[in-house]
Amino acid sequence: MSEKLYEIISKVMNVPISSLDDSMGPENIENWTSFNGYVLLHELESGFDVKFSINEAMDVITITDIKRHLKNKGISFD
Amino acid sequence: MNSEETLSYFINKSNELIEKDFSKKIKIALLSSFTINGLKEILQVKSAELNISASVYESSYNQYSQEMLNKNSNLYKFKPDIVFLIIDSRTIFDELYHFPFSKSIEQKEFFINEKISELKNLIDFFTNQSNTMMVLSNLNIPTTSSYGISELKFDYSLSEMVQKFNTKLISHYKKSEKIGILNFNSFISKFGEDNVFDPRQYFFGDIRISMNFLPSFGQELMKFIISFLGLTKKCLILDLDNTLWGGIVGEDGFNGIKLGPEPPGNTFMEFQKTLLSLNQRGIILAINSKNNFDDGIQIIREHPYMILKENHFSSIQINWHDKVSNIKEIAKELNLGLDSFVFLDDDKVNREFVKSVLPEVSVPKLPDDSSLYSKFLLNMIEFSHLKITEEDKQRAKMYTQQKMRSELQNSTPDLKAFLKKLNLKIKIKQVDSFSLPRVSQLILKTNQFNLTTKRYKESEINNMMNDPNFFVGCVNVEDKFGDNGITGVFIIKKESKQIWNIDTLLLSCRIMGRDIEKGIFIYIVNKAKKENVEQIKSQFIPTQKNKPIEDFLPNSNFKKQDDYWVYMIKSILSYPEYLELEI
Repeated sequence: MSEKLYEIISKVMNVPISSLDDSMGPENIENWTSFNGYVLLHELESGFDVKFSINEAMDVITITDIKRHLKNKGISFD
Repeated sequence: MNSEETLSYFINKSNELIEKDFSKKIKIALLSSFTINGLKEILQVKSAELNISASVYESSYNQYSQEMLNKNSNLYKFKPDIVFLIIDSRTIFDELYHFPFSKSIEQKEFFINEKISELKNLIDFFTNQSNTMMVLSNLNIPTTSSYGISELKFDYSLSEMVQKFNTKLISHYKKSEKIGILNFNSFISKFGEDNVFDPRQYFFGDIRISMNFLPSFGQELMKFIISFLGLTKKCLILDLDNTLWGGIVGEDGFNGIKLGPEPPGNTFMEFQKTLLSLNQRGIILAINSKNNFDDGIQIIREHPYMILKENHFSSIQINWHDKVSNIKEIAKELNLGLDSFVFLDDDKVNREFVKSVLPEVSVPKLPDDSSLYSKFLLNMIEFSHLKITEEDKQRAKMYTQQKMRSELQNSTPDLKAFLKKLNLKIKIKQVDSFSLPRVSQLILKTNQFNLTTKRYKESEINNMMNDPNFFVGCVNVEDKFGDNGITGVFIIKKESKQIWNIDTLLLSCRIMGRDIEKGIFIYIVNKAKKENVEQIKSQFIPTQKNKPIEDFLPNSNFKKQDDYWVYMIKSILSYPEYLELEI
């Protein structure tokens, strides 16, 4: 599932998958503007068939946070 | 929704467009009271799919008033061709949106009038300063409020206030040439408020059209863009089997096809009703079917549940020729360019064949389910018209009359004899506010018999009409088969007391080949002679499509001098005997 998550982030932020790691977020991905942040959440919801609450959406600082919220919704990254 | 319709698809795709440069161009400005990020990319990609280069300006967040009122703002500097102003009921009603009980009926009425007046002043200021076409959204009527189930029992409840606002605003701009109205409320109704408005996106980023639905919203805007650029299609070519009726007439027979009040025959009846309605609005219908002629025409003439009759079709091609040859034949018969056509066929192979050989023809994919045909047709963007003129409504009938003219022409030995039998009458008038919409439409859309193919916006034509250095004329053509309406336009630029320049001269394709241009030319010469003008000059500006008018200037005794063709006026000219002129 990590691969799928990275694919979505790569597509939305227009960066190569190889440049991504779990510690990254708006601080170090240039295209991760607030608007692209909304687009990313929207794409994750469609891609994984989940819904994020507004609290979860506000709580995303790095890719690790996205994984945590997805895990809480039953998505496995093992 | 497939992946090609998601917002990120459009955002990514728009990055690939940087190098693309199409001949058709448009500058679009988006003004909104809420976040519409992504709409720019959607419009750029959708425009590119239609070979249009769109450059799009987005106003700063909720700064639309300031930008419209400041003549030095980036909005004015951008010089848009078309501006969309998208506002919603939350913005306009503000506190009253949440607290509709907080004011009396009188205060609410005052509030609505004040808001309308503010918005009108803003729009009028901008459109007067910029001379730009503006498309204004009406307001979405909220589906819930604190009134609960008694909402409709109250005067000036929230929904009633919004309705009143919409009615007043629309009635003010109904006849305006510069303002189009985007039915935002219908858009929300179509997809549902609970879907379009996602509270999380709203609270998170003031997004009031959720990302799932922004591409569909962009599609609504494209309807205005297509019409503004004069790219509206004129004719719908239809297959018969499994398109106008269910089943295959050659196999199922007259009594075996699906057409009637029972399902699935009722889906085809519904589709035909929608087609008839489009035909009454002026969309020309034609048939392109691989069948025995007798089998197909028998259904059209005799089937009790056929809604469309033979006289609704301006060209009927039922034969065993391939679909491409038939479309070419229809284009020839109707004297229309291939880019005027939409072709609807349930068969994928036929569609792909037409698409590959005739890329100018629009070939949308009909839904697999015939119960969706009618809705599909009504949602198509190809037939969008900013306004429907009287000529539009008559157009389909005129093309049927054209069929009768062709029959007469085929039975008459030479052109002059044919023209004489037609009892041609042309009326030439100076363009006024009534004829302006039609004249503007012709200037934007006419390709074939168009001397210079200069595309003027309605506001520019209006300026010329009011300028003594111009004469903007329109030509109405009548004959024994009917009135063709306004089908010719010319613009004379009076460069000096001695020299007139024919800046524009065009005829609608449906009256080509009847020497109408001769009548116009003689009219211009005689008018010039009366005003002691010595020479008339003009240019032929060739395009890929205007070959039919290539010889007009030399045939009218203009002589080439550098970049211009020049006609020296000697005497008043007489009209040919087959042309009756009314001024």
